[in-house]
Amino acid sequence: MLGDCRDWHDVSVIEVQELTKTFGTVRAVDGVSFTARPGEVTGFLGPNGAGKTTTLRMMLGLVAPTSGRALINGRRYVDLERPVVEVGAALEATGFNPGRSARDHLRVACTAAGLPTRRADEALETTGLKEAADRRVLGFSLGMRQRLALAEAILGEPRVLILDEPANGLDPAGIRWLRDFLRHLADIGCTVLVSSHVLAEVEQVADHVVIVARGRVLRDAPLAELVRGGELKVGTRQPEQLRRALEEAGATVRFEDDRLWVSGVDAEQVGRAALDAGAVLTELVEERSGLEHVFLELTRAEMGEAG
Amino acid sequence: MIRLIQAELLKIRSTRMWLGMLGLSVGFALMGLVFYIALAGVEMDGREALPPVTDPDTVRAFYANASGGVLFMMILGIVGITGEYRHGTITQAFLVTPRRGRVLAAKLVSYFLFGLAFGLVTVLATVAVALPALAIRGGSTSLLDNDVPMILGGTVLAMGLYALVGLGLGALIRNQIAAILVAIGWVQLVEAIVTVALPQVGQWLPAGAVRAITRTTGGFGGMGELDTLPPWGGTLVLVGYGLVFAVIAMVTAVRRDIG
Ligand SMILES: Nc1ncnc2c1ncn2[C@@H]1O[C@H](COP(=O)(O)OP(=O)(O)O)[C@@H](O)[C@H]1O
Ligand SMILES: [Mg+2]
Repeated sequence: MLGDCRDWHDVSVIEVQELTKTFGTVRAVDGVSFTARPGEVTGFLGPNGAGKTTTLRMMLGLVAPTSGRALINGRRYVDLERPVVEVGAALEATGFNPGRSARDHLRVACTAAGLPTRRADEALETTGLKEAADRRVLGFSLGMRQRLALAEAILGEPRVLILDEPANGLDPAGIRWLRDFLRHLADIGCTVLVSSHVLAEVEQVADHVVIVARGRVLRDAPLAELVRGGELKVGTRQPEQLRRALEEAGATVRFEDDRLWVSGVDAEQVGRAALDAGAVLTELVEERSGLEHVFLELTRAEMGEAG
Repeated sequence: MIRLIQAELLKIRSTRMWLGMLGLSVGFALMGLVFYIALAGVEMDGREALPPVTDPDTVRAFYANASGGVLFMMILGIVGITGEYRHGTITQAFLVTPRRGRVLAAKLVSYFLFGLAFGLVTVLATVAVALPALAIRGGSTSLLDNDVPMILGGTVLAMGLYALVGLGLGALIRNQIAAILVAIGWVQLVEAIVTVALPQVGQWLPAGAVRAITRTTGGFGGMGELDTLPPWGGTLVLVGYGLVFAVIAMVTAVRRDIG
């Protein structure tokens, strides 16, 4: 029913090597390199305009890179023998002729790819669109279009999936379903690359995270590693004393909103530092995960640039 | 390649756009025909508006109405390619078949075939109305005399080739509305004016080629007053246009970023 990933021990990786794309004077993607591995969901995270879509489109041969290349299973997308069977892709949710039914849309792809047309019905079933199969896409909600794009991606039962903001427009139940679906695919050995500008979507499902902003990769690490570096929000009556004590203990501290934001130490170490400094704690919360922190910082920097 | 052509035909069949274009093509042909039937041999202000149906030119003019739908074949081609960009389905096409030349080749073949099929239907509809009208009015009911096979066959071919011109034009302009406006402006304005004002140039335009093929050498009524190529010359010119625009479609669509 789902993507057939049984041969997952085969090489089914995505290697992006120094991809760069300039539109006129805009460097939309600037030397992006990363690897997505089988059995993992790789989150491709970045604020709007970071260059995610352009990167994915270059990986799929839709946009010609200014330089660099992307390999899927060791080959460029355009050199794949039967691309739909090796790679499933869902780009924006706009790629449908509104006058065509969902089933016909998928049958066109099946016909062109030489897949049996029953795959269209199976994919519609998998993505929960069975009832809507014969309706024209004109009346589809954004969420239904996302499901249809996903159905299209899994038509050839590929072992590599590349999804661009697949959670956009999904309701909470749909997001939940998507998360389970991606998890399942990774668990059976597929390579799943999923882009998003919404942290929460990626955080709950990704094993590995690549963070981009303004066309550059800022972080490329296992999710666990990024989350470990979380910040503690510390309220105190003696901020200066506590700050000094914390820094002596090896913490990184910044002051914002009348609180100390502390990273590099755990709650117990903060307590000890407070005791040593004779500082009264009024608050001690693990306020944001490390990933959220990193991401917010990047997003904020981005908005600062724009404004 | 066969699979890609099948996919293109499925794309055309799975929306209703083709029905509209077929309706317009047949409707346009029959509208013109009815006009001719009404005026042939009728006295107006003491002289005949059109020669009577016993005149071979009038018989030719009756059947030549079938070619009135070529504009809609051009629009069919335009929509066939610009629609893919407009709706973003070109992404699907190029993801399934990253060798873009194959997609375009399949599209060209499919739309040529569709144009021929539409041409056939339009011609049949025209004959179905023209033949009884000629019989009632006492004109020739032979489908073999008066260049009728040439006119009808040429019309079918012209419809196929105009679809190719539409694909090329659409690939070049890419914006659907703009491309359709250019096509309509070209056919209704530029060609119409050049044909009358500069017939020695007009004969080399697609419309001039269609006139040559359909043996309508005059503007209205089929009198031989305009420069017109011989039928084989018109056929070659039109095939030339079809091929040139096919190449334009190939070259423009294959290289461009899809983003
Ligand atoms: N076809 C294009 N022409 C010009 N600029 C583009 C084009 N596509 C994207 N861009 C620009 O490139 C940058 C990255 O865009 P995109 O890849 O869509 O980012 P993301 O998907 O991360 O939101 C943006 O500044 C965008 O405006
Ligand atoms: Mg994007």
